[in-house]
Amino acid sequence: MRTLLNAWRAVLCGVASLAMGFIATPASAQDSKHYKVFLSMSYVGNDWQAEAQNMVTAMAKAHSDKVDLRIQVAGPVAQKQIQQINAMVQAGANAIIVYPISPTALNPAIKNACDKGVVVFAYDSSVTEPCAYNVVTDQTELATKSAQWVADKMDHKGNLIFITGVPGTSVDTDRNKAARAVFAKYPDIKIVAEPNGMWSQAVARKAISEAMATMSWDDIKGAWGAAACIQIWTLQMEANSKTLIPCGTEGSNGMRVMMLPKGSIADATGAYSPQGAPGISLESHPGAGAMALKLAMDVLEGKKVDKLTMMPLEAVTADNAKLCQTGSFDELSKGCNVFDPGLVPSGWFANILNPATPEVGFQAALVGQPETN
Amino acid sequence: MSLRCSNDLLRFTRRNDGVLIALATLACVFAVLNMNLQQTFSYYDVSNTFSSTATLALAAMGATIVVLIRGLDLSVGAVISLSNCLAAANMSDSSVSMIGWSLAGVLVGTATGLFNAVFIVLFRLPSIIVTLATMFIVEGLTLLILEQPGGAVPPAFSNFFIGDAIPGLVQAPAVVILLALLVWALLRNTRLGTHIYAVGSDPDAARSKGVPVSLTRMSVYVIAGTFYGAAGVFLTAQTGSGDPTVGPPMLLPVFVAVVLGGTSFAGGRGGCAGTVLGAFTVMLIVNLLLVFNVPTFYATIVEGGLLIVAVLANSVPRIREAVATAWIVVLKRRAGLPHFARRAAASSTLMRNDETLPANPVGRWLRRNRSALRFTVPTYLGLAVLLLVTAAMFHGRLSLEVYVNTLLVLGSFLAVLGLGQGIVVISGGLDLSVPAMITFSGVLLCEWNAPGSSSITLLVGVALLGALIGSISGIGVGILGIHPLIMTLAMNGIIDGATLVMTDGTPRGVPPGIVSWFMTGKILGLTPVAYGLMLFVICASLLLGRTVYARRLYLVGSSPLVARFSGVSVGRVQIAAYGLSGLCSAVVGVMLAGFSGQAFIDMGTPYLLPSIAVIVIGGVAMSGGRGTYLGVFGGALLLTALTTVLQGMLLPVAVRNVIFGLVILGAVIGLRENQA
Repeated sequence: MRTLLNAWRAVLCGVASLAMGFIATPASAQDSKHYKVFLSMSYVGNDWQAEAQNMVTAMAKAHSDKVDLRIQVAGPVAQKQIQQINAMVQAGANAIIVYPISPTALNPAIKNACDKGVVVFAYDSSVTEPCAYNVVTDQTELATKSAQWVADKMDHKGNLIFITGVPGTSVDTDRNKAARAVFAKYPDIKIVAEPNGMWSQAVARKAISEAMATMSWDDIKGAWGAAACIQIWTLQMEANSKTLIPCGTEGSNGMRVMMLPKGSIADATGAYSPQGAPGISLESHPGAGAMALKLAMDVLEGKKVDKLTMMPLEAVTADNAKLCQTGSFDELSKGCNVFDPGLVPSGWFANILNPATPEVGFQAALVGQPETN
Repeated sequence: MSLRCSNDLLRFTRRNDGVLIALATLACVFAVLNMNLQQTFSYYDVSNTFSSTATLALAAMGATIVVLIRGLDLSVGAVISLSNCLAAANMSDSSVSMIGWSLAGVLVGTATGLFNAVFIVLFRLPSIIVTLATMFIVEGLTLLILEQPGGAVPPAFSNFFIGDAIPGLVQAPAVVILLALLVWALLRNTRLGTHIYAVGSDPDAARSKGVPVSLTRMSVYVIAGTFYGAAGVFLTAQTGSGDPTVGPPMLLPVFVAVVLGGTSFAGGRGGCAGTVLGAFTVMLIVNLLLVFNVPTFYATIVEGGLLIVAVLANSVPRIREAVATAWIVVLKRRAGLPHFARRAAASSTLMRNDETLPANPVGRWLRRNRSALRFTVPTYLGLAVLLLVTAAMFHGRLSLEVYVNTLLVLGSFLAVLGLGQGIVVISGGLDLSVPAMITFSGVLLCEWNAPGSSSITLLVGVALLGALIGSISGIGVGILGIHPLIMTLAMNGIIDGATLVMTDGTPRGVPPGIVSWFMTGKILGLTPVAYGLMLFVICASLLLGRTVYARRLYLVGSSPLVARFSGVSVGRVQIAAYGLSGLCSAVVGVMLAGFSGQAFIDMGTPYLLPSIAVIVIGGVAMSGGRGTYLGVFGGALLLTALTTVLQGMLLPVAVRNVIFGLVILGAVIGLRENQA
């Protein structure tokens, strides 16, 4: 048994190190001129996260002369992300950028990192530890703006479907509270269903179908909620509804394409094509991580950076939706905000412009390549 | 004398091989890690590792005790959050409050454990479905206590659990883990401890030896709940706050820690010491991934691979046996012996009429299918009640045509998944690779769907690939003897990673037009999939009711040993079972892509727990060997009808979760086991 166990141990070590060796070589000594920056993502399993990762990668490439970025994913378990942050400190990080799985649970780990002189940035979702920098989207403003638009388009009356996100998260709670406050101003607007969409189009579609099993589209005058509009309009089209209802919010390219006037893209077919749908597109900015990396470099270089940075919140409606040709930063800055269906999938997030990061354009979000100029 | 010593040593290693392998695995991970670190583990780093592992270790210890008596507790993650939020939301700066709310956190775990125990032991319900229902109820209650992350506990409270017990030498989290292990060691040496192992090894033998089986099992769930509660309180101290979403994702790591710790899911073997080592391994893998800078998309692949490698240690005898069997087949071939002979014997039918059955056909049929009926009828009764409630609630605004269509379309996903998961469970296993498989197939379908390509070839290709990948799990389970939970969990990670690597995180393309039409078009008012579903139900019922394969499957699930002696190749039956499950998941992936008009990387995730819920509601025994497809189909419709009625109600998600859990519990009370 002993020899067997020893033999086993040897095999196990061999296989493990071999497997590792194939994928990557161990950390080499760091170039003294480079800042060592780690990105701790909580999970990578959706479009938004993939785009965010691409944009951070592009930002690191654009500044490859001064930053060495390593990206790790912890999975949805907070304990693992805590362990990961500690390991990053141990590995000699100058800065750690975190997509926090929880706004509060990571606090002690972040505090430890700060105490060791590491600069810590959280992006998209904020953390409450005061020593950390936060780069976030104003969820209350996002929800208020979009809910107000939907309410106005409904002429302040009629039945509304209110789609919620991941329960128990701060973002979902903040958004729902703000949107409810808006709709509550109009007694004639009645929320008739609250499908739980979990910020996922696939889940939202199922949840909305379930809610609509006991209702008719003719009675619904508006819809509000994240990752819901494409599916709302598609379901309406499948049910042969006469007019598409006003809907907010969602930042996907599919939603924005559907908002363009009918026939404006020649070869687009199916639901992922211009439908002249009434919507307001607003979503958390996927470039928050790239912004955080840029600001982290500023902090490391001794510049003064605010503890709280708000990402731009650009509302796209039928009035200002405009198709991009190349999606370069220059073109984005001039106001294009929708991409050709042939270039990106429908669920791809199109709200990528941030005036503060000219390194990041369409290619950055798609494949992690920074702008060349 | 020396001979005797070595015998003792041998006995010691044999008895503790689980713990020793867990220790070897941990030592290995730590050694590889330390070899590649520039700065090795300092007191500070060790201290951090202890504090981030303690929650997992405590929770996994509770889960271990349940596994020891052949149970499975899915409520562990939810209870951690409940205890965490209860303590964090209420604790104030006085020591009375700190002690009081810590106790409350632990006791709420105990209470949940008691709740589980009552339904599992007194009502004789399967542990997996009771704890699944509890999970939903507890998650709902947690959200009612703390709607979003928040609450703060006094620094003194945190310092007590996180700081140094002896400055510079011993950390408080290490003391917590040691204390928990001490509790376990004491428990193990009591009469109850002996009873736990006896009940886990063989409940019938234990009962006939006078062991109070029910009381033992109840105590186990209560003790386990207490451990989860303690884990939640420690988490509160460690994070200084409450977060309702922190606990539930810990479910899978908890089971990984249990398995890495060498506890057998067959019950009666293992213990908490190994589990603690397993928990450390789980955490140190995070460091390992960082040190080797494993790219994000490969993280789950490497984790899955390491998991399989780590548990292969337990499979050495099985591998030897498999090699030997293969060798015998080769030798037989060489000698020219027909090795299909026993197969023919196993397939031969019983010719004699059973004279004990009633003479009239109806009575005969009823008697023959008595047990199947007993486990199927309650499901349909539940469905009928639910439909009546729906009709009453939404009277006036409900269109029958729309409702039935929605029920069939949404039910079709679960109906297909239920067949795959059902077959695996009947064979005595469990398939956790369902979510990744769904996503993988849906994504492949869209990626490969180039204009002008043949839809039929594409669909067949995706389905076959699903079956092929599924059978890899089957080989791991059936040939290598890896526990299904671990094998399919590892495969889930590997497939997940493969999907990300293939797509760079952004899946492209749309499903073929025919698939979209099948899922969203209309024929005579109903979506085509509704008609397809009826055909599927007939085929699936025939598959599980009339085929030779099904007979072997039920036999393998009831008793692998008897199956082997009857000339059934257990391995082959299991490989086919997982292959079929892979096929079913692939079909659902295709259907979902057609339904949503696009494939998403997260689209399979919500289907894991429902796939298990439908089969249990449908009367399939988690212990294997029993279940009908008609029951599973009823389960699929019941679950769909339930979520539909809940989505239609204007209730907070928290309340809906509680109702969902309660209804599931109510539905399965009709399925009591062993009520002889």
